[in-house]
Amino acid sequence: MSSDNPATGAVISRPGFFQTRELVTIGLFSAAAKASSLILALAGGGMNPLTLILKSAVQSALLVVLLAKVPRTGTLTLSNLVGALLSFLLMGQHVISLPGVMAGTLLVELLALPGGGLARRPWLAVPMVAVSELVIRFINIGVSYLGVREQPGLLAMVVAVSAFGYLGILLGLIGGVRMTGELRHAGLIQD
Amino acid sequence: MRALSRIDKYRGGGRLILRPETRLLLTVAASVSSLALGDPQALSLLLAFSLLYAAAETKFKTLLLAYAFMGLMCALSLACVWLLGFIFPPMREAPLAGAISPFIRLGVSLNVILPLALNSKLTELAMALGRLHLPGFLRLPLMVTIRFIPVILNDLVQLREAVGIRFRGRRGFLFWLRHPLTWWRVFFQPLIVRLIRSADELAMASELKGLEVNTDFGSSAEPFSPDDRLVGLTAALAIILSALAEFFLSGSGHA
Repeated sequence: MSSDNPATGAVISRPGFFQTRELVTIGLFSAAAKASSLILALAGGGMNPLTLILKSAVQSALLVVLLAKVPRTGTLTLSNLVGALLSFLLMGQHVISLPGVMAGTLLVELLALPGGGLARRPWLAVPMVAVSELVIRFINIGVSYLGVREQPGLLAMVVAVSAFGYLGILLGLIGGVRMTGELRHAGLIQD
Repeated sequence: MRALSRIDKYRGGGRLILRPETRLLLTVAASVSSLALGDPQALSLLLAFSLLYAAAETKFKTLLLAYAFMGLMCALSLACVWLLGFIFPPMREAPLAGAISPFIRLGVSLNVILPLALNSKLTELAMALGRLHLPGFLRLPLMVTIRFIPVILNDLVQLREAVGIRFRGRRGFLFWLRHPLTWWRVFFQPLIVRLIRSADELAMASELKGLEVNTDFGSSAEPFSPDDRLVGLTAALAIILSALAEFFLSGSGHA
């Protein structure tokens, strides 16, 4: 294990609990995800397919870069939790699906634990984001079903929105991996 | 800030003096109770109470705009159901009452979300977070997120202006649609580099200032106002009445 390097700003994972700088990094990335989705929603309207794809792509790329910057078990869960809590605080969203989403993300992190987790296998970031976002979408569809249980046909809109969102997630993963490679090359993220 | 000023014109209009915790609690209570209720009449009672709250806390024009948008979304959803009816004929025979309940739930959500979204200031929410006694590992990133959303919005606006200068004359919507990778390179990548540099600088500054995971940010505990109590009691009454309506109306419906 190497030490922290203030010159390059590298965040080095230590065993145990989160460090202050790791939490600050998670907070800033969550702020960026929220701010960029707000800007995209204002620029292109919240519900058109292109905006949905772009919002999700930016979100998943940010997650991949964050997991490369803070490769620690719990980063993904904490980042999703902060994002969901913020959505709830600002817009009242996700209040019902929050426990399910957290359980799903935590399960994905636990499944990635055998073999050393993110710290030893950085490539796990991509399948972890892909699977956790899929789990989150399924849980959201399930919760939406509770709201429209008298007329299940209305679920078609929710499924369409989730499908467009997930397409964006997959595109964002490609962008995130490329971006992480460039950032490693530039020394902004250390191995 | 341009992005925030676009929201600001809808802001305000609240006639009640409420703590953010009250608005948050109302949102949770309304979401849970509207999901639990199924009878359209019981849900309508909840909708009427929540509409009173929204009317007291939101400008009339904003409320009207939000309802117009919700109407548009409902019409789109119904069009989807109508189209699906051609594929699955039983869906076209669903009773009207069944189709109304999801939209009433949507109305209840809208009535409680609008006051929360338009009247809560970021600083007030940060203070409320301090009072909620969240664990340090959750409170620190949340506080950073809330504090830095306006800063990052400003960064994004500056980036958009820089891209506008660089691609002057050919930066229309169609140009970006034809060149998504260019958009990614000129807009997203500088954002990430800025973000990583800011994260490193902020992390170093916070460590130098002795900020730790369990630092108490301090928050003054203001007493609940009479408006808080009035709204809380009315909400409790609304939920009890709706639950009673659900119990008796659903019971008589089955009998």
